[in-house]
Amino acid sequence: MKNFEYLEPRTVAEAVFLLTEYGDEAKVLAGGTDLIVQMKLKKQTPKYLVNIKKISDLDYIRYDNKFLRIGALTTFSALAQSTMIQENFSILMDSVRAVGPLQIRNRGTIAGNLCHASPSADTAPSLLALDARVKTVSLGEERMIPIKEFFKGPFATCLKAGELLTEILVPSIPSNTGGTYLWLPKKTAVDETLVGVATLVTLDVNGVCDDVKIGLGSVAPTPIRAEKAEKLLHKKKIEDGLLSEVGEMAVDEAAPRSRAEYRAKMVSVLVVRALKESVRKVVSHMRN
Amino acid sequence: MKCLIRLKVNGETYEIAVEPRKTLLDVIRNEIGLTGTKKGCNMGECGACTVLLDGKAVCSCLVLGVEADRREVITIEGLGNGVHPDPLQEAFVKHGAIQCGFCTPGMIMTARKLLDENPSPSEEEVREAICGNLCRCTGYVKIVEAVLDVARSEKGGRDAGLLSHR
Repeated sequence: MKNFEYLEPRTVAEAVFLLTEYGDEAKVLAGGTDLIVQMKLKKQTPKYLVNIKKISDLDYIRYDNKFLRIGALTTFSALAQSTMIQENFSILMDSVRAVGPLQIRNRGTIAGNLCHASPSADTAPSLLALDARVKTVSLGEERMIPIKEFFKGPFATCLKAGELLTEILVPSIPSNTGGTYLWLPKKTAVDETLVGVATLVTLDVNGVCDDVKIGLGSVAPTPIRAEKAEKLLHKKKIEDGLLSEVGEMAVDEAAPRSRAEYRAKMVSVLVVRALKESVRKVVSHMRN
Repeated sequence: MKCLIRLKVNGETYEIAVEPRKTLLDVIRNEIGLTGTKKGCNMGECGACTVLLDGKAVCSCLVLGVEADRREVITIEGLGNGVHPDPLQEAFVKHGAIQCGFCTPGMIMTARKLLDENPSPSEEEVREAICGNLCRCTGYVKIVEAVLDVARSEKGGRDAGLLSHR
């Protein structure tokens, strides 16, 4: 690892000041489970490393029935232990469970997972399906960025130099809605996700699809929404024939590079499976 | 420039000047001289460097030494030794859950943490817990048996080394 100057701001304002001062030469250190690996590989060689873990008010999970708010320092372990998320945002919990072993979950943060912007980030498809947004703070400015606009390319986000992601906001899920995240891993030491699919389905009382969102991971330069596939289901009754059409449309929207044939095939399989599972959850919930 | 850090390792306090780029793993092995914690992949993949940082299992290769300032670390040496082994250490020997032994310290740290939190885990829970500790010799069967054996035993790991440091 190349040497760097290590900085420990105590407040968001102080962190933003340092990030503004040092611009592209600075990197934010949160959990470090991605960044420290990148630094060892010399893919990242910051001159200034800004550890934000000493900022006291960034580690929280709050829900006020309108928004779930997750602070930038919240670890995967904290999320995995949250019964509130399990009960109200099970699609997100599916994603959290897809992340790493315990050692990684104990350090890694969901905000860092997004900022690292790996196309295969497991939390991204669910957050896309949930229409999440992220709050950022820079000198004299705050931004609320829809997650759909956050990723700009493999390992690239729309964050500007001097800008710190402080919170992830997830709008509450309407009633009669079910969601799920399904994934297939590469069989390697870290079992990185090869294909990830998140679906969120809202049905009306007649079982007609009121709203559907489909998030795809690891099959395009960034995590994406399969919006054309979503449109096929709008105001339709969900049936097997239609589902396979939706799966094929999602394949059209994906743009996998390596292992493209397999990934494409698995997009259609997982989209259909995830939609069926989401519908099953809504129906069983309606019966209760 | 070096930073002065103070950390507690296995109950003992150390004050060390470290370069910020040195990982906690390097601090533990090279500065403090506790070489039970192993450097395997050095990329957070193999789990051989697992230690408990403020009671949480982490890959010490993914933590900077400076981040451990004012924190408490437990390494394999803190669990037990040749004279007073942790029940898990005994069980690993008894079950032949060791071949080359390189994954063993990390494996035992993770298993210790599991049993402290969940004294009677299912086989599935044991397998899930150790999924971040790669073993290329044993195929895991004997490791899982060893952990389950300790869980089943009367001790249940409860009076084991970890707690004696608290």
